This record gives sequence, structure tokens and C-alpha cells, in this order.
Amino acid sequence: MKPAIKFGAGMAVGAIALLGVAGTAHAAEYALTVDKVVIDAGTFKKEGIGYNGASPGPVLRFREGEDVTIKVTNNLDEDTSVHWHGLIVPTAQDGVPEISYDGIKPGQTFTYRFPVKQSGTYWFHSHSGFQEPDGAYGAIVIEPKKREPFRYDRDYVVQLTDKHSHSGARIMRNFKMKPDYYNRQQQTLGDFIDDAKKMGLGAAVDDRMGWGDMRMMAADVEDLQGFVPLINGKSASQNWTGLFKAGERVRLRFINSSAMTYFDIRIPGLPMTVVSADGNNVQPVKVDEFRIAVAETYDVIVRPDEDKAYTIFARSMGRSAFGRATLAPREGMEAPVPEPGRRPLLTMADMGMSHGDMPGMNHAAMDHGASASVDHSTMDHSKMDHSASGHAASAPSAMGVMDHAAMGHGVPAKTSRHADRFYAPGSGIAPVAANGGKFLSYADLKAQKPLYDHRSAGREIELRLTGNMERYVWSVNGVKYADADPIRLRYGERVRFKFVNETMMSHPMHLHGMWSILDTGAGKWNPVKHTISVAPGTTVFMETEVDAPGQWAFHCHLSYHAAAGMFRKIVVEGGPKTSSAFTPEKEG
Amino acid sequence: MTFHRFSTHFLATLAAGMLVLSPSARASGDHPGGHGHGHDAAIGSPGKKAEVTRTVTVTMGDNFFEPESVTVKAGETVRFVIKNGGDFLHEFNIGSPAMHAAHQKEMAAMVEHGLLTPTEMRTEMPHMDHSKMSGAMPAMKHDDPNSVLVKPGETRELIWKFAATTGLEFACNVPGHYEAGMVGPLKLDH
Repeated sequence: MKPAIKFGAGMAVGAIALLGVAGTAHAAEYALTVDKVVIDAGTFKKEGIGYNGASPGPVLRFREGEDVTIKVTNNLDEDTSVHWHGLIVPTAQDGVPEISYDGIKPGQTFTYRFPVKQSGTYWFHSHSGFQEPDGAYGAIVIEPKKREPFRYDRDYVVQLTDKHSHSGARIMRNFKMKPDYYNRQQQTLGDFIDDAKKMGLGAAVDDRMGWGDMRMMAADVEDLQGFVPLINGKSASQNWTGLFKAGERVRLRFINSSAMTYFDIRIPGLPMTVVSADGNNVQPVKVDEFRIAVAETYDVIVRPDEDKAYTIFARSMGRSAFGRATLAPREGMEAPVPEPGRRPLLTMADMGMSHGDMPGMNHAAMDHGASASVDHSTMDHSKMDHSASGHAASAPSAMGVMDHAAMGHGVPAKTSRHADRFYAPGSGIAPVAANGGKFLSYADLKAQKPLYDHRSAGREIELRLTGNMERYVWSVNGVKYADADPIRLRYGERVRFKFVNETMMSHPMHLHGMWSILDTGAGKWNPVKHTISVAPGTTVFMETEVDAPGQWAFHCHLSYHAAAGMFRKIVVEGGPKTSSAFTPEKEG
Repeated sequence: MTFHRFSTHFLATLAAGMLVLSPSARASGDHPGGHGHGHDAAIGSPGKKAEVTRTVTVTMGDNFFEPESVTVKAGETVRFVIKNGGDFLHEFNIGSPAMHAAHQKEMAAMVEHGLLTPTEMRTEMPHMDHSKMSGAMPAMKHDDPNSVLVKPGETRELIWKFAATTGLEFACNVPGHYEAGMVGPLKLDH
């Protein structure tokens, strides 16, 4: 007898649900509102922009493998946008107005939908106007599908920003009007007199004029000062605190969501083991201090083994300000806060003077730290063609960063075998650990599990990072974004980018939509990042597997440099057409 | 030409360090502790195959051990079968936390001089021009009985007779691995 199968509504739903569970990934829905908020930076309160009523916004927690839906409602009276920094998403979900979509209009709710195919620490922020420096940023933590190559008992996001009492738009106007408007640390008459005593009056004057000729201001490590560093939205006196029990391993997810500021981070008394960089796991490396560029992330494991407080100390690279947070067994505890230390000054090495052969230059005499007088009379500035800086003349080593010892000219006395290859030899900003221990270098980063097979790049694209500080113009290859053609890449190729920094500032270069495989000389173990900092006077290489169709932003992540033109659109030709690809009204 | 030039002071320090690791420097039986070479009676002693009463299989991954802890009895001889299922070189080392800390420094020095790579251990330093160096340099080895280095895909054994000591751990002292959590307690069962 045939069994009677009642295919009633209940059964049908049950059957479909069962199929659903077997076939689809976990789907999660999130909601964000973009709001006007008041930011309390301790010494001042300022109206700004936040998410879900606060700045920083919430920590969004995703799971690797899920399909997420994020509804973003714009409660501002101007357009907004949200970009998921470091997430590999379809071009239309990337959140960049005029490249991904039209932005989110006032009062509109935009629904993002994308699969999450990665894990780790990332962040999100507005890509409209100066909303991000005004407070529109938050964190993303993605739980992995598989077991992580490290263990920990506690887990905290430690997100930094550089909050200024001026709005982002006002800061940009001031930069355009007077580029050194915020550079309070310019050398003073007192400094000049001290230099004259050390170097001789003629040399001191020449040094000033030399810098002036090159259109750079000597103390330019930071072009924006007067900000208050915040950690998880709190100033040093407000003191964000993460709790632990002695002996526990604590994972700290450092995110630098600043507009312009790099931070040197250490925890006195506690070494840190770096396990991730830009969301991707690295072979663990134990350090005493690390520098986090704008837009980068670093995950570290610490194991505080005493029942006492520890200070998380974040001093700005130019030493004009510091952030402070605490790890403690109980709320309300504090540990001593160190001094920020001597402020660094850029040297001629940072201007690229140590590279190549420039006529009339006496390299041996260039060590400004030495007490011997510097012979500037042999420097003929008119012969220096900075647009054709000697980088092309010397063959780069296989490592992609210049091997000065092999070049035949002297390496300045300050460098040692252990000098960081990612700074110009004799650089004034090459980092040194405050406790005399180990400072993380890009050279220490090696992928724990490479994302791509190692192969040669098909071609190389040179991007000179250029600018004119006196007019606050920042550009790529001397051309600002508005005047530039897009960079065209072919789907399926592997392209090698060569960044040549012809400026006096460090630039954190961020490519959207695809990974940047930084060449540290580790071959297949080269680390996979989304943001690569290029120090003054250096050349850095990275490679990209072009596996994301559509168009993408590629820019310096210093907010006011991107706005001033250090930005490009990447157009990927070929590849699968996505149904939700954005078609701009006019080609750029 | 690029060439690591070692100062004589540096060579002397390195030679002293390597002397500690070389087999010829080991005394049998009573051996002053403090540099973690496993002959301190307090942590136990190398076991005899005939006395093995139990076999424990430990699997290494990147960067962890399975199981995360092991229980032993004072006086028992355990045969550890250690399989490396990861993609990287790992160590299985029995000792106190202080011994592990000392051994981490040694292994970090080995990495710095090219003797230890992420996937294997070399017996010779790369780039060294021996003709320029005076004096014999003992070969650097890593063959203490309380520890094994296991390459990816390999399986190795370690037989250990435990003493009545608490607080011991099995650990991997490849730089960064201990800090990442590649360590587990050897719990003493009375």
C-alpha cells in the first residue's frame, strides 16, 4: 500500500527550510544609522559625525562564510557613504561615491549585500567629504571559520584617531591657504642659533636655504598638529581600560583610523607578539614597539603576568601628541605614562639625497648629526633635478628596496646591519624602540598562509608620489586626480607597482578591492596587506593579483592628501560582469 | 659585495653560545641547570624504551599542539609520538617556563644567523667564509633529549621519564610560537 504523503503547507515549508539550511551560508543582517554626534575629546567637545549615535561607531561582528546585509540610513543633511576598509567585496558594494555608486542621499537607506570571504580585524568609514576625520569610523571583527594559529583568552579592539578641534573642511581650507598652518613644530630662531653654533653660520644659513629651495619645511614630519589622540573614543585622561586576569593571553586589535597621524605603540613592561597585519595572519614576531600607519591594522598578543596596570602608549610619529589607554585587572587603575621622547627631524636622507650620484654632492659630509661642519658649498642646487631623482639609475636588488652597501657609495654612519630597509639610510624618522629593544619593521612581516600562488608579475607600473608642500598639492606622477586618466588593469594579470616617494612625508597607499602583496624580499611569504606606507625618499614595491572586476579607488589614505589629489581610479578590464556593477554617467 | 662580517667579539659570544648546545659540552648526570638542556634531575631524564608504560600522540599544527595538555605520573616513562601536521617547523620541548624562556633566546639567535628557517634547521650558517675565521667552531645542533624539532609532515619520538615536578610545560620555542600559545601544561597526577 502506498503511503499517503500529505504535502501540506507545513511539510512544504519544512522541506524548503531543510534545503535552505543545506545550501545557503549563514545570513546576517545589520543596521547602521549615520548621525550628527558630539565628540568629547576631553579638552574640547566638537560636533561631528558618528554611527548609531556615537563616534567611534559600533564594532561590527561578522562570520567568515556568511552573506551579510547592512542597511545604512543617512540621518545627515548631506550625502554620505560607507566603505568597508580591507574587505574584498563586489565593486558596487565598496562604498566610494562616483566609483562604486552615487553615495547615500540624506534620509535614504542603502542596503549593502556581500559575502564575507575573509577573517580578521578591519574597519569602516565614510568616503564622503571629510566625514571620516569628523568622526565617521568604526571597527569590523570577522570570526574565522577555521582555528586561528594563535590562542588568547581576551580580545579587545584598540582603535586610534587624531581628533582635531577644527572640522575637516576647515582644516583643508587652512592647508590650501597656508600649508604650514598646523605645523607648530617648525624650527624656530632659537633652533637656528643652536645650529649656527654647531655648524657655523654660513652652513646653518645654507641648510635653511637648501630646504627652502626644495620647497619643503624642515620639520615636516607631521603636517597636521594640534589634534588630540583618542583610543576607542577616549583621550589619555579619559583612559580607555581593557581588563585582564594575570597570566591570560590578550589579543589587541590595533586599528589606526586617524586622518593624518602615524603612531608608535608600546606597552612598557609588556612585549607584544604581532600575529596579524591588515587582517591577514603573519608568522608571529615578538616586538617591543611598532609603528602603525594611517589605515593599517595590527593584531598583537600580550600576556600580562602581574596583577597590576599596564599603559598602552601611542605617541604620534612627530611626537607632538600621545594617546594613552590601560590594561588592568580592575577598573580605575593606572600605570606610569612615559615621556613622548625627542621629536624627530627629517634629514637630507629623507629627501632622497643618499640615492644615486648627484653632481657636486659630498656624501661623507652630509651626516648632520656629526659635530664636524657640513660642507654645503659644494652643493649645487640648480643641478638637482628632483623630478628625475636617481632612482632609475640604480638597479633595484631582488628585494625591491635599495641595497646601499652594494652601490659602491658609503652608507651614512648612523645605519647599521639592523637598520630598517623601509626608511632611507640616515633617515630622521627611522623608528627606534624606546626601551632599546625590537621595533617592528615591514621586513619582519611574513604571511602565515599566503593567499595566492607565487608567480612573477607580468608588468610594472611606476607611481611617483609627488607634491608641492608650499601650495598643498599632492599628486601621483605629478598629476592630481581631477586631471588624471584612470589606471587600466587587465583581469587575471599580476601587476607590480613601484612607489617612488619624491616627497618629505610618509604616504599610506591604499588599493580598494584587491590585495597589495608587499615585497619584503620574502618571495612566497611576502605579507598580504591593504595599506602600504612609503617613507620619504624610498622606493617600495608591491604586487596585485587582479581578480576583482569593476573599478576601484587607489589613494594615499592621509585624508587631506587624498582630497588634494593623491588619488587614482583603477579600471579593471575584463572578468565576469557582476549584475550590480555601477555604470557611471560619464567616464572620468 | 655583501657579506656578513662578524667581529671577533661577536664570534666569541656566538661560539660560547654554541658550545653550550654542542654534545661534547654536555656532562652526564649532574649538570648545572639554568640553560635548559634537560639534564637537570628535577625535570626528569631521558627514558628507556624498555620502560615505556604509555604512548601519547601529540599533533603539531601552525601554531598549536593537540592535545592542549598532558597528564603524567611521577616516575612513569612516556613515549611521545609527535607528528607535524602543519606547514612550518616546530619544536616539542619538555621543561620549566624558565628553561623555555632561555631556549627561546637561543632559537632566536639561530634564526638570526640563518641556522633555523621557518621550515627546517640547517647545520651550517649561510654566507660564512670559514677561511677567514680562526679557531674551530663547533657545529650547532639541536639534539637534547628533552626536545625534538619536527619538520612539516615528519613524525619523531621522544621518550621521557618524569620526576615528581610540577609546573612543567611542553612547548615550541621557535620564535613567536610560545607567545602565540604553542605551549601546554604537563599536569602531575599523584
